[in-house]
Amino acid sequence: MSRASGQRFFEDLAIGETIELRRMTVTKDMVVGFAREFDPFPFHLDEAAAKKSLLGGLAASGWQTVALSQRMLVDGFLSGIASLGSQGFTDLKWKKPVMVGDSIGGTATLVDLQGSEPDRDRGVVTIALDVRNGRGEPVMSMHLTHRVATRTETPDLPAEPASTTSGDGDKR
Amino acid sequence: MTRWYEDIVCDEPHVLGSHSFTEHEIVRFARQYDPEFFHTDREAAAHSVFGGLVASNLHAVSVGQRKMVDALFAEEKRLRSLGQEPGLSGPSPGVNRMRFQTQVRPGDSVSYTLTVTGKRASKSLPGWGLLFNTIQAVNQRGELVYEAELVGFSKRRDYRMPLNLRVFQSLMRLPVLRTVLRPK
Repeated sequence: MSRASGQRFFEDLAIGETIELRRMTVTKDMVVGFAREFDPFPFHLDEAAAKKSLLGGLAASGWQTVALSQRMLVDGFLSGIASLGSQGFTDLKWKKPVMVGDSIGGTATLVDLQGSEPDRDRGVVTIALDVRNGRGEPVMSMHLTHRVATRTETPDLPAEPASTTSGDGDKR
Repeated sequence: MTRWYEDIVCDEPHVLGSHSFTEHEIVRFARQYDPEFFHTDREAAAHSVFGGLVASNLHAVSVGQRKMVDALFAEEKRLRSLGQEPGLSGPSPGVNRMRFQTQVRPGDSVSYTLTVTGKRASKSLPGWGLLFNTIQAVNQRGELVYEAELVGFSKRRDYRMPLNLRVFQSLMRLPVLRTVLRPK
């Protein structure tokens, strides 16, 4: 449903639509690679140190769990819609550490749609992400808001004025 | 910061440092974690709403995490060099709010600042305090890239466990009782 033929626009989205996210297995190389660059705490880098920490073993950075969830969301949903980028998120909760060897997956549910009046060319969708490990335990949840282009007035706009980068209207 | 809960001063901004984003690293991060075309393909991005290649917001946030970890380690080192025992920060339970504002483009330099805006003793983790942190990321033109409200934990130096908890903890050391008393 989420990746039907052709791109979907804001008008094509419906509250309640649920996308099943593809599962992925979190490997030691992935965990250590991300941690070395972005979150070099010993409990994300070193097995012995991790065993002694509150996490009880080598676990992914919480931000890596967010990034991997974003990857699953792009693959399963965002790549099939006229996405204009994210506005932010609320209520991000890290509920359980993601350990090396865990497989994570979950669902993305569209929980709100807001057309923005001054910019008729876009709307904002709120997505509830529920990410779980292989035992079905919740590991992370959050509410994302994402801008999506509307179908209206897509064709034959005049060429975009030079160098307005923060503006609107310019669609793919 | 790697300070004891008691030593953390609210509303005092800590400059965490800055980072210059190259096109190469923007594309590398996005290919792995956020492969929307305006993060991965310079040509296609030129025709996007952004008018050019922009970094994944999560890339900017991940670099912010790195800046924070580096600052924690530096503070720990500084305190040790003064002959003091540094405090301990614990894993974060989450982020209340994250607002993305200005996109990061290749060549942009982003500065990160952390401010503890509030703190209180944790009810769920005895011996720890909760910290309410705001992180602001600003580019070289002074435009806000993102602002986040993060929750963190910091250990309390002056904490003394109540007697009933101490009794419980020593009982938990007995193997038989541990299996009986273990929560959930």
